Amino acid sequence: MATKTTPGDAFAGATRPTVAGFDVAKAGRRAECDGGRMIPGTKYAGREEFSGTLTGEYVDHGDPPWRWYRLCELTQKPENYEGDAVWCESGNLFVVDEDAG
Amino acid sequence: MPKDPLRTRFTEMLGIEFPIIAFTHCKDVAVSVINAGGFAVLGEAMHTPDEIAADIAWIRERIDGKPFGIDLVLPASVPESASLDDMIAKIPDEQRAFAEKIKKAYDVPDPKEAIALHQWGGLNQELGRAQLDVLLDERVPLIASGLGSPAFILDAAHERDMLVFGLVGKARQAKRQLEAGVDGIIAQGYDAAGHTGAVGTFSIVPEIAAIAGDTPVIAAGGVTTGQHLAAALCLGAAGVWTGTLWLACRESDVDMIIKDRLIESTNEDTSYSKSISGMTMRVLKCPWTDEWEKPEAPPVLPTPYQMLLSAEYIQASNDHRRADLMTEAAGQGVGFITSMKPARQILFDLVEEALASLEGVVGELP
Repeated sequence: MATKTTPGDAFAGATRPTVAGFDVAKAGRRAECDGGRMIPGTKYAGREEFSGTLTGEYVDHGDPPWRWYRLCELTQKPENYEGDAVWCESGNLFVVDEDAG
Repeated sequence: MPKDPLRTRFTEMLGIEFPIIAFTHCKDVAVSVINAGGFAVLGEAMHTPDEIAADIAWIRERIDGKPFGIDLVLPASVPESASLDDMIAKIPDEQRAFAEKIKKAYDVPDPKEAIALHQWGGLNQELGRAQLDVLLDERVPLIASGLGSPAFILDAAHERDMLVFGLVGKARQAKRQLEAGVDGIIAQGYDAAGHTGAVGTFSIVPEIAAIAGDTPVIAAGGVTTGQHLAAALCLGAAGVWTGTLWLACRESDVDMIIKDRLIESTNEDTSYSKSISGMTMRVLKCPWTDEWEKPEAPPVLPTPYQMLLSAEYIQASNDHRRADLMTEAAGQGVGFITSMKPARQILFDLVEEALASLEGVVGELP
């Protein structure tokens, strides 16, 4: 079901279509996101982990759609990470009770 | 008749001779390996879409239709954005002072060039999409995702007869990608250069091979000799992913100072340190990594703050070609690199060593 959720700063400036939506089945589920992102200014991929609770909000970015879910109430995040939420790519998102092991 | 041990699902899939992937940032290395019968994946994550297109054209002109791959990094999380100035302003005084102390103690000069990191325009999903568009438009034979799940591009890639491989450091990541339908999994162990997971190569490769079915698993992390190749095949891998091995080859564009360091280094000369980027990363030891490991060192900052802090040291050491300061990502197999050989010879040596190793166990091979 589509809603008017705000994609947030992470998607500011995107030139491709970003379609916001809400997945009720994901809302409130505990999840972990691992993998990370590139280290700025280097050719190296950095690995970092987040754990928290999914709000159910998602954004589909571009075509084919690259789906990102919003993870909030973070219980694990990189040290000194200042945000209280992060957008996580669906392929790296593991709902804790579904993806044990 | 026993099968040829170097003919695997991976070589069959790509129609290549040897189950060896060279991961490199140098086009010349990639072309040499491909033309010698191996496979090469060019790391293009830090390049603009136009640069990627130009590199693809350059390679294609030199490999006579043989397959090749391009590696990108697909972010798994998107933290809040912040300006460079804002981030620099947040570096605490304690860590700034420690960096300054290192600068004085080792007579680190000021950089000659603008700090590369400070020119960084920001990595976000938009840039990743633009890079991927080039690969899809160009129908690159194989896309490797060095970080992040490539699942969302599988349909688009397969419609274009392109293969998609994902690099993982955990079995659950592999399981997810296999379920999505990737064409191959690169199982990377702790020995590897750069940022890597915490599970050793000997553990992660058979663990993932056991769940991969017919999907080829490529072993990564510390693979530097033919013995490693032979062992990887015995662990259930269909090939190996090698990186450090090519840094010191003749075709490599890595600075000669670093090549000398790589050749001189033993497997105890790498540091698994957070001091470069804020996340554990395997690099050649240098004064910067040594100093941050001392008891009096302040806590390492998280990325990107530690990266901002180390950027000036790294830029200066490279600009001034200070052998005593420079570093480079290197895996634990670096001790096996003992000379600056042509890429072609490195490839053939790997093959001969692997066959000799296997024959040492089972007798003469076909």
